[in-house]
Amino acid sequence: MNINQLIFQNLKKNLKNYYLYVFALVFSVALYFAFVTLQYDPSMDEVKGSIKGAAAIKTASILLVLIVSIFLLYANNIFIKRRSKEVGLLQLIGMTKNKIFRILSVENLILYFISLFIGIFVGFSFSKLIIMVLFKTIDVEDIAQLHFSNQAFIQTIIVFCVIYLFIMITNYTFIKRQTILSLFRVTSSTEGKIKKTSFFEMLIGIVGIALILLGYYVSSKLFGGDFTSMNELFLAMSFILGSVIIGTFFFYKGSVRFISNIIRKSKGGYLNINEVLSLSSIMFRMKSNALLLTIITTVSALAIGLLSLSYIAYYSAEKSAVKNVPANFSMTNIEDAEKFKLALHEKNIAFSETVIDVIQVNIDARQILDSNLSQLSIDPDSMTISVISDQDIEDIDMSADETILTGYDDFLSKFMPLKKSGPIKLLGENEVIPQQYVGLRNDYVISYNFTDGGLPVAIVDETVYQRLQQDINPTIQKPTSLYIGVDIKDDNQIKVANEIFLASNFSDDNVSRFEMSSNQKTNMGLMMFIVGFLGLTFLITSGCILYFKQMDESEDERPSYTILRKLGYTEGDLLRGIQTKQLYNFGIPLIIGLFHSYFAVQSGWFLFGTEVWTPMIMVMVLYTVLYSIFGILSVLYYKKVIKAAL
Amino acid sequence: MNILEANKIAKSFGNKSNKEEVLKGIDITIKKGEFVSIMGASGSGKTTLLNVLSSIDKVSFGTIKINNLEMTKLKEKQLAEFRKKYLGFIFQEYNLLDTLTVKENILLPLSITKTPKKEANQKFKEVATELGIYDLKDKYPNEISGGQKQRTSAARAFIHEPSIIFADEPTGALDSKSASDLLNKLSDLNQKRNSTIIMVTHDPIAASYCNRVIFIKDGQIYTQLNRGEQERQSFLSDIMKTQGVLGGVHYEH
Repeated sequence: MNINQLIFQNLKKNLKNYYLYVFALVFSVALYFAFVTLQYDPSMDEVKGSIKGAAAIKTASILLVLIVSIFLLYANNIFIKRRSKEVGLLQLIGMTKNKIFRILSVENLILYFISLFIGIFVGFSFSKLIIMVLFKTIDVEDIAQLHFSNQAFIQTIIVFCVIYLFIMITNYTFIKRQTILSLFRVTSSTEGKIKKTSFFEMLIGIVGIALILLGYYVSSKLFGGDFTSMNELFLAMSFILGSVIIGTFFFYKGSVRFISNIIRKSKGGYLNINEVLSLSSIMFRMKSNALLLTIITTVSALAIGLLSLSYIAYYSAEKSAVKNVPANFSMTNIEDAEKFKLALHEKNIAFSETVIDVIQVNIDARQILDSNLSQLSIDPDSMTISVISDQDIEDIDMSADETILTGYDDFLSKFMPLKKSGPIKLLGENEVIPQQYVGLRNDYVISYNFTDGGLPVAIVDETVYQRLQQDINPTIQKPTSLYIGVDIKDDNQIKVANEIFLASNFSDDNVSRFEMSSNQKTNMGLMMFIVGFLGLTFLITSGCILYFKQMDESEDERPSYTILRKLGYTEGDLLRGIQTKQLYNFGIPLIIGLFHSYFAVQSGWFLFGTEVWTPMIMVMVLYTVLYSIFGILSVLYYKKVIKAAL
Repeated sequence: MNILEANKIAKSFGNKSNKEEVLKGIDITIKKGEFVSIMGASGSGKTTLLNVLSSIDKVSFGTIKINNLEMTKLKEKQLAEFRKKYLGFIFQEYNLLDTLTVKENILLPLSITKTPKKEANQKFKEVATELGIYDLKDKYPNEISGGQKQRTSAARAFIHEPSIIFADEPTGALDSKSASDLLNKLSDLNQKRNSTIIMVTHDPIAASYCNRVIFIKDGQIYTQLNRGEQERQSFLSDIMKTQGVLGGVHYEH
């Protein structure tokens, strides 16, 4: 048998071992190629040009390469480890390490490049689907047309050739470093020796949990006013990241083992099958996997966090448009409004109109502000806000000495928290009118032209309003003091009305809410798409890595299953134990990742949108479901192993 | 009272075109409280016989009754049920779970049958003390010697007081001192607890601790030796003689 035959035979025999490696490869290539094809596709020009999407896409593609290479290197590592016995055998019969390396390389080369081309093919078909999804999310009405891009093809080939070289290098060092003896023992020696829990380990575990909690605590304070300068904010963020990541690592290194040891001790040596399969094996493996699990947790947290934030922005597009423009269309002068109304009449579009007089007044709000405002350039003694009369708002009637504030957004409420009630002063040019501030309402009544993008609006009694109007301070007034809101009665006609609005070429002060929200959606849609793509990649790669790890583990544990089955445990008993084990194996990183991302989102979501719970929970649930698929797959694999164990 | 009755059991491996008959119709009866050895050259089918008798493998033909219950007709799940109640195992490679302590390993069979914890601890203490491993209870298998591992394995086989204990070359991986220690303990337990032990071995010394030795050749019973009131030494020489005739392999002592 010459070397070529040997290679061929090996390939044939090992295909079963390799199928996951092939899958990992095909999947990575497909993903990358799909992405690069999108990047080079002419139909993407519109997206790229419009909002500097090109830079975002480029960054994403670099990140993608990074994830994919780590993933492939990891997969390769598992498979070379599996074949260590065979390599040892070849060495034993007198083959040199270089020759073995050559055999492995050629084998790998064949598999790798076949998978590469399959991957490119899959990726190409896949990218059409993806671009359709993309256009859907960003509301571009275009028929997705894709061309096979040579540029994308060449880039993919180059990138994966480089990754192949890296794989070869790791294989080479792996083979070089092994002695015949250690090659035979590789699987048992990589998992740590079984030792008793030490005091040091306990300490590390506690420190880990403490660090995570500390990070969470600081994150909840991040935008609470304790960190005022940019530098401090940056330091605080780095601190949070560092403390949470290191904490997570320590948690896996010490706490998991420490906690399971406590549980185990309490059983006094009498373990049921669930505990035998889950507790004991997790105890010994979690520690050696600490780094891997930390990476997976961090990556999951990152993916969930980013997805949540961008989905919050996308989801809130409509709401923040309502905040900025309470009516479908907002006009600021009568002339334009009349013109628009006429046009609507002509098209038979029914509408309602709201006209509100708005004046700008300084108020002294020092006594109702909860914290100091040194970080914002606002003077609490004399803050300029819009004031309207209670007559313009239907369901409010104020008494002469009361003021209510409305339209206070979450972002501002973080930086400028208000008390429930208290005395304020309305400062006219000459006169000062003392008022009792009685509460806060959430709805927005006038457009953002008047509110400096989020300051609250004061509603006062008509008499007070008259007094203020007489005593007006001309220097702080806006160009217009009239808000005209036009609401279209039938939602289906908004689109038509919007076209009329756009065709009329009004000045910038007049705003269409529809236009505003769809612009926001386009912007956020692309962001979401890119983040979603990366998030999905993160998800699938980390899921695959955990799955591979479990495959590996199940092979290692096969003898234990044999013993247990001989002792009289049924397949079902064992499988139940495995399910518990997988619940921990997959659940612990997931739950910690969810917690991390929850605190990350909580600390800064108001910078992105107006609604946090629905989008965040949706993202989390979706992520959990997709992630669980890998857990289920691994249980199925275990089932096979257990069945074959006796 | 017969605890095990096997009738004309046969076992073959492979498919039709390439069939290999390993067991060719063996009849065995074993009485309660007996300590029986099965001997034979490698390839004679002794381990297959043990696997079949202990329900780990299925027979191709024939019936096996344990406690008057016909095992050959049971489904996989019932067999598992059967194993956990009535059978105990000792293997050459110890077959301990590396991730469990000595005590946890030994208590496994009780945990399957959901024995109350107090009773389990009581039983553990008894059997572990008898086998001299009580002090090792919190150690992991990789921290103890081969002989201690095998005694742990034996304790696990005895703890739930099974009807039959199957031992597959229990002394195969032990040095002679540990081996004789273990065998002494086994025959002690056999007498004290009146438990039935079936042991496969190729070591005549190990076999000499038994009441009866069954020799297997080419998948059939070649002969049987009863110890009766004999001394162990003379029984050993009998066994060695038979073995010499059987395999042509001569032991030098």
